[in-house]
Amino acid sequence: MITFESVTKRYPGGTVAVDELSLEIPDGQIMVLVGPSGGGKTTSLRMINRLVDPTSGRILLDGKDVQESNPAILRRGIGYVIQQGGLFPHRTVVDNIATVPLLIGWGKAKARQRARDLMDLVGLDAEMARRYPHQLSGGQQQRVGVARALAADPPVLLMDEPFSAVDPIVRASLQDELLRLQAELHKTVVFVTHDIEEAIKVGDQVAIFRPGGHLVQVDSPQRLLAAPADSYVEDFIGFDRGIRRLSFLAADTLDLDTGVIVSQDSTAAGALAQARKAGTSSLLVVDSERLPHGWVATAGLESTPGDTKLADVPLTAGHGHTFRVDTDSLRAALDATVLSPTGEAVGVDSAGRVVGVTSYDRLRAAIQGADEAGRSASAAGSRPATEGSPAPEGVPTS
Amino acid sequence: MSWAFSNASMLAHLLGQNAYLALVPVLAGLVVSLPLGILSVRWGWLYPPVLSITSVLYAVPGLALFVVLIDYTGLTDLTVMIPLGIYSLAVLFPSVVEGLRSVPDPVRQAAVAMGFGTWRRLVTVELPIATPVVIAGLRVAAVSSISLVSVGALIGIGGLGYLFTDGEQRNFTTEIVVGIVLIIVLALITDTVLVLARRVLTPWQRTDRRARRLASRRAALAVTAREASQT
Repeated sequence: MITFESVTKRYPGGTVAVDELSLEIPDGQIMVLVGPSGGGKTTSLRMINRLVDPTSGRILLDGKDVQESNPAILRRGIGYVIQQGGLFPHRTVVDNIATVPLLIGWGKAKARQRARDLMDLVGLDAEMARRYPHQLSGGQQQRVGVARALAADPPVLLMDEPFSAVDPIVRASLQDELLRLQAELHKTVVFVTHDIEEAIKVGDQVAIFRPGGHLVQVDSPQRLLAAPADSYVEDFIGFDRGIRRLSFLAADTLDLDTGVIVSQDSTAAGALAQARKAGTSSLLVVDSERLPHGWVATAGLESTPGDTKLADVPLTAGHGHTFRVDTDSLRAALDATVLSPTGEAVGVDSAGRVVGVTSYDRLRAAIQGADEAGRSASAAGSRPATEGSPAPEGVPTS
Repeated sequence: MSWAFSNASMLAHLLGQNAYLALVPVLAGLVVSLPLGILSVRWGWLYPPVLSITSVLYAVPGLALFVVLIDYTGLTDLTVMIPLGIYSLAVLFPSVVEGLRSVPDPVRQAAVAMGFGTWRRLVTVELPIATPVVIAGLRVAAVSSISLVSVGALIGIGGLGYLFTDGEQRNFTTEIVVGIVLIIVLALITDTVLVLARRVLTPWQRTDRRARRLASRRAALAVTAREASQT
């Protein structure tokens, strides 16, 4: 548990970087500090491991004021990852990762073994052990940075814009990797970013800062999207917060339509009858494995001889983007629906087999259902920023 | 040529003396530059005045220094080695400062944040990263020191420079040419040894020609800056 008690950082000259910050960061969670530059998020982070000392107030790490600890000893127990990696250019990957274990006096062999285990954990090829940082890609360097921070198994991990310097695709995979690691390791992570999307994706809790070092709101990502504390937060989150909220609603709550699915072995006449029964003007053709082929319009079938197999009928449209019913969110389902040529999107299972089809109507029903369930579950509503009550349980992070 | 072979033992002796007179001062210059450079990086305000002092000393002609020093050190090796040490210091001091400044800020910060103490950070992180730039400075200092030794011949302590004064007195060109060739050979050998030393000391650079070029450019800049400050 990390506790900020009325922490203020004022620089000589009068600039206030952090203003009366009170915040509790519960164990085993990812707390994201997000805000524009000048919001005081990085300064707050750096006060935890005493890279910056507060002007007033206290920061407690498991109940102990960090000001009472020797800085070097304190820092060895706190993992630290920065944007540019900060890897030692003169040390190999394995020796970079082994840095802190060596500092705290593990033997060389043990430290290196630990480093190799961590390379495996963060998804780095064992053959990279003897390489130097400049021989790695940006994404690989950040993985080494994370592995190095985890090497001595510190309970707390500080991450200062760790993924800002890599391209969006690599960033997304690093974020996923972090969430996967966190599910395994349960560290107390303080993560600074200026990217609200990233905050919402990786945070169990998100703390929003405003210029001048004011904390505005601390909440779970869902509640932040559902109930921003004020217009500043609302603006910061951006205009499409309604859509983004759908990321937290699972696609398996959708009531999928199976009446429009037709096998390619059916005849045109059979398909027409099925369409009439389902009251639809287009059918989704699947093969014998239930893999989707595409859409066929009933209008075209009427002029086709009744005994023609659907496999021989030209498709009206491809099946478009599919979504995974078991793992994707309503956001993915909505996205697939918007992109679909027929306004209906195909939900598939892990093997790509069709489970059912959704439409705007079915999406709306699922969203309304989730909203009603959400309202009864979180009747407590949004908490003011200065009250550090513990985080709600069961917050999905991906 | 036959003159060189028949005088091989004398030439070997002069070569050894030249190397000794040139390189001990470079080492001494390095030993003084390191703490001076470290302090100047730690406290930035120290750098300009120290740089000015070393620059002024670099500007004093060697011969003038010999004349002054003879009163104190007499006709000993020290009279030649002290000025050469001062010149080496003037080349190496900015190299050490540039080398330490070449440590990327995130690297320094990461070292602090991981719990390195000041001393450990200096020895295990900053000095190793500064090594390429410092060695580039050493190459300049060593080569110029080797050729400057010959000026000492004017007071009788000049290593291979003896061949110039002697050759001139006897109007014997071969001797002078042999002297020039031997000085160049000595400089090339020393330079090669330093390049090899850098390869051994900085294995991470072997795979990255770009970084190496950057390092030598930094050192060259440091020397140019020093020369500009002299004029």
